[in-house]
Amino acid sequence: MTFKSSVKWLSLFSGSLLLAACGNEGEESTASAFEDTSDIHVITREDGSGTRGAFVEIAGVVDENEDDNTTATATVQNSTSGVMQAIAGDVHSLGYISLGSLDESVKGLAVDGVEPTPETVASGEYQVARNFNIAYGDDLNEAAQDFYAFMFSDEAQEIVEEQGYVPVEAETSEFESKEVSGDINIVGSTSVEPLMQVFAEAYKEHNPNVTINITAPGSGAGITAVIDGSADIGMASRELDEEETAQVGGVDAIAIDGIAMIVHNDNPLEDITLEQIQSIYLGDTTTWDEVE
Amino acid sequence: MIQLFKQKERIMNGVFFISAFMSIVSLVLIIAFMFTNGIPVMRKYGFNEFLFGTVWRPTASSPSFGLLPMILGSVYVTLGAAIIGVPIGVLTAIFMAEYCPKYLYKILKPGVSLMASIPSIVYGFFALQLIVPLIRDYIGGNGYSMLTAMLLLAIMILPTIIELSESAIRAVPRTYYNGSIGLGATRERTIFSVMLPAASSGVLSSIVLGIGRAVGETMAVVLIAGNQPIIPDSLLSGVRTLTTNIVLEMSYAAGDHRQALIATGVVLFIFILIINTVFIIFKNREDANK
Repeated sequence: MTFKSSVKWLSLFSGSLLLAACGNEGEESTASAFEDTSDIHVITREDGSGTRGAFVEIAGVVDENEDDNTTATATVQNSTSGVMQAIAGDVHSLGYISLGSLDESVKGLAVDGVEPTPETVASGEYQVARNFNIAYGDDLNEAAQDFYAFMFSDEAQEIVEEQGYVPVEAETSEFESKEVSGDINIVGSTSVEPLMQVFAEAYKEHNPNVTINITAPGSGAGITAVIDGSADIGMASRELDEEETAQVGGVDAIAIDGIAMIVHNDNPLEDITLEQIQSIYLGDTTTWDEVE
Repeated sequence: MIQLFKQKERIMNGVFFISAFMSIVSLVLIIAFMFTNGIPVMRKYGFNEFLFGTVWRPTASSPSFGLLPMILGSVYVTLGAAIIGVPIGVLTAIFMAEYCPKYLYKILKPGVSLMASIPSIVYGFFALQLIVPLIRDYIGGNGYSMLTAMLLLAIMILPTIIELSESAIRAVPRTYYNGSIGLGATRERTIFSVMLPAASSGVLSSIVLGIGRAVGETMAVVLIAGNQPIIPDSLLSGVRTLTTNIVLEMSYAAGDHRQALIATGVVLFIFILIINTVFIIFKNREDANK
């Protein structure tokens, strides 16, 4: 009998514990306030990410062979949204994302006194920026060619500005669709994907006969897909190296985007220098009080 | 008439044989694919370097493919999940088979079956929203740690262990129970000293299946474990398992890197082979003793 009743009490107790845990969840997502002495929780992207490739090059987080030397203890998230969610949930974290994806859930830091905005990226003041590159294979089908032409039209570059990126300095003109039909597979960067989705919707207004499939497993995957032919168009948020450029049909930049350094909204830090960023990501600076 | 009957027999024989053959053929094909694509790169960099190297930098200018951090990651996480999940699972199975009142059983049994059918990415998301902040705020670190992965995997293998163990315990003939009680043993003594050993092969196979699931779990773990390719030095350090290593890099890997990932699959496969072999040896010894 005692076994039975003790089991009943145990299940009641654990049930109430569970409810208590869920109850706390609703109040505040960060139970702890920001503390200077805490370790910096560094967040980075996976190896194949274009954002990571560009960031590492600009911030100088490399070893003597120019290879990525991000500290091995940095948590790896495999998408832009993954990084944002991780930062929004942890007051002691630091990460980097595409500037165009920055929203109210996280705070963007000023780098060397320059705020991360499309204007400062366009003027060149904000140094941490790179091109969004579009790569295509050798035989592009008609629908993809038409969409490609759309991406370099007046309308598309206006969309680029509206979405918070910087348009490229190129000759653009009015777009006239050739009314072709077909499927287009677009694969690549999680940073470029939001912009590409808006492009696809706007293009559909001109030509509803085309189906556009966009997937975002990362810049590296996008370039590989174009090289082996499984995608028509690849999106990359970094420059292609010599090997890759030799194997794709061609590559062009469609927008310029900054990389924003982001922290939790409750983090008191407002700006950071490029040297500090390099030191943190190399693993030399480990606590928040070394950054103030 | 009899000829037609015999012919039908033979045809159905053939159909069943082909179905059985299919599963063996697919297994052989998987093994052949993995070994032909994975072994060359292992040989190129040296088996020792590959299995015991501690540095995984596949995209460096001189790449190094050391799998030890990932092997240890898989081992620790699975061991932790087993240590947490197996006692809870087996005790729950005993509760459900022997102590559970009928009204509670009607809720528990479908509940456990439902747990088994929840997709693993949903578990991963659940852990991301609930377990990660709990660990970050009350225990330490940044929440993405080995401990989180162990806890989540323990929860995920529970339904497997509970369902199979419970049917194993229920399958023990009631005469064992009655005989033991008749000899004067208490109910608890009977269950733990008579029923459980009698059901041991069923309980053990449920544990092995649970461990197999924990070793192969990918999507849930990649969301919460931190994914650093380092040898974990504490429960709160991030970890990368063999499975998450493959899923993080497969989409963009090319050439040697891709083959190294397939070789990771080979190592995983050998892992599971070892676990299953140990289980079969165990079982044979049990049967021999009986």
